[in-house]
Amino acid sequence: MQNKLLSIQEAVANYTWDGMTYCNGAALPVGSCSIAFGKEMVKQKRKNLNVICHCGSQQINLLAAVGAVDRVEVGFSGLEVYGFAAGLNRAVISGKTRMEDYSNGAMALRFFGGAMNWPFVPATVSIHNDQQWCSADYPDEYPCTRKIPEITDPFTGKKYGAFRTIRPDVAAIHVTMADIYGNAIMLGTEWNRFEMSRASKKVVLVTDQIVHTDCMRQYPNLVRIISEVVDAVVYWPYAAWPQASPGLYDSDEEHMFYMNKMMKTEADTEAYCDQWVNSWNSHEEYMALIGEEKIEKISQTATGFLMDPYRKWIRSDAEIRELQDRTKG
Amino acid sequence: MDYTKQEFMAIITGREIKDGELIILGVGLPMLAGYFAQTNHAPNLRPFTEGGVYGSTPVGGLPWGIECNRISANATSFTNAIDALGFLVLSGRADNAVIGAAQVDKYGNVNTTGIWDEPPWKAGKYLPPRVRLNGSGGASDISVGCKRYLIMASHEKRRFMEKVDYISSTGFLTGGDSRKKCGFVGGGPAAIISTLGILRPDPQTKEFYLEAYYPFTTIDEVKASTDWDLKISPDVKIVIEPTDEELENLRSVDVTGFLRKNG
Repeated sequence: MQNKLLSIQEAVANYTWDGMTYCNGAALPVGSCSIAFGKEMVKQKRKNLNVICHCGSQQINLLAAVGAVDRVEVGFSGLEVYGFAAGLNRAVISGKTRMEDYSNGAMALRFFGGAMNWPFVPATVSIHNDQQWCSADYPDEYPCTRKIPEITDPFTGKKYGAFRTIRPDVAAIHVTMADIYGNAIMLGTEWNRFEMSRASKKVVLVTDQIVHTDCMRQYPNLVRIISEVVDAVVYWPYAAWPQASPGLYDSDEEHMFYMNKMMKTEADTEAYCDQWVNSWNSHEEYMALIGEEKIEKISQTATGFLMDPYRKWIRSDAEIRELQDRTKG
Repeated sequence: MDYTKQEFMAIITGREIKDGELIILGVGLPMLAGYFAQTNHAPNLRPFTEGGVYGSTPVGGLPWGIECNRISANATSFTNAIDALGFLVLSGRADNAVIGAAQVDKYGNVNTTGIWDEPPWKAGKYLPPRVRLNGSGGASDISVGCKRYLIMASHEKRRFMEKVDYISSTGFLTGGDSRKKCGFVGGGPAAIISTLGILRPDPQTKEFYLEAYYPFTTIDEVKASTDWDLKISPDVKIVIEPTDEELENLRSVDVTGFLRKNG
């Protein structure tokens, strides 16, 4: 097996480009999401992105707020109890970002279809309502018949819809722990990450912890993302901040509201990026920015016990640095 | 008795939930109503979220999301969207659900997607909205898959509309047998629980009528807060106020007072 550790800068440089179909691997808008990776995309000024979200998160909120997103497909675009996604909504209302809506179940099925390399998936949802009739890709057609075309069940003759399946260029998927080869364990809901890891042409893992492969050999049933489909592994503790990573840290309530408020206008978004996105390069700088006090607070999570079985396999920063140096060869 | 309209609505919604049901709960108020029912009168309720979080109860107050750590600290299983929304909801297996609505119409169609000056069905095209909301999330799946489901909404004229701007979650469409013709496995909305009363669909026309209203309002106020010509049940009742025990049970779930802060 190949050591796939890469720095966050290299991973973004090698695996993202302008105009790509990008998928942000999130477990819904408050939880696990590769947010640090999205910030690095902002720093490297990626643009004209076609983003497949399933659910929005602060990552797509930020990418859309800086004007990097031309088109997005979602099942849910908000931040749940933290409110509507101000940056994403600003981009949609202004017409900068075209947004195609589906149901959350539909998005999961479309990833599944992409993973199977199927041409389409039969649709029993998002039909006979405006998710079928309204298309941002064909805005002049109402009711639209091209977004989710009608098909006939060859066995019963009943009418259903057909979902276009999803094959993103790259998915940046956040996981709780991975080994250096790209085997990963996720704590908390997987949401769409299992299907997404098989549907995407390339997969970059963004992981909070690196563990020994012995950990995977102890719990092989829990390894739902496998090295066979993973191209790169980025070690970045607190990568989902200000969102949560079950077992490791809670969402940063104060910053969730603050960040969303700042996404409301272009000027505030720029100020936010100056302070919170463009101001770090190393992980030490990233942690210093969040601050010790905050790190300590969010790490006092009621889910902490979920990590107990895995702790003995966690690799130290020094070990990981050495392994990272080896991939540079 | 000291309670807010939101608390009243959550308790009335909770009363609609039966012990033993397999129920999927949306984010926010629906979750509080569901876990209130479990604490109050439905100890064998089988609640889950669309992320596939099973067997858990909230810790430390209203979860920030359906995958929040507050709902992940005592789960018996974590699965995924395909499982929760596909295998349990779209398959037709789930008994009940609670969803929210920004707009709801006389046939129980729900909009959570956007607000337009001229909605797509009127404009004949799909332009960016004046206000973008969240999209349907899993509520659209719930609306076609669950055996029945409950809609919670703030009772205001701009929200209780003759026709919603956008159908995100499918109710009885244009009434009568229009939903039946679509062949969905789910039975459709069983009730709209608002901040003023309980609305039920007429068995034939599927138009929602007022079955009961809360003691702090009047039929006139409910009608004035509804955009369509709301029909009133000949047996219209006044809903029994929450008991002290119900309030106590609700507040044991809503420990951060979310429903008290929001009126």
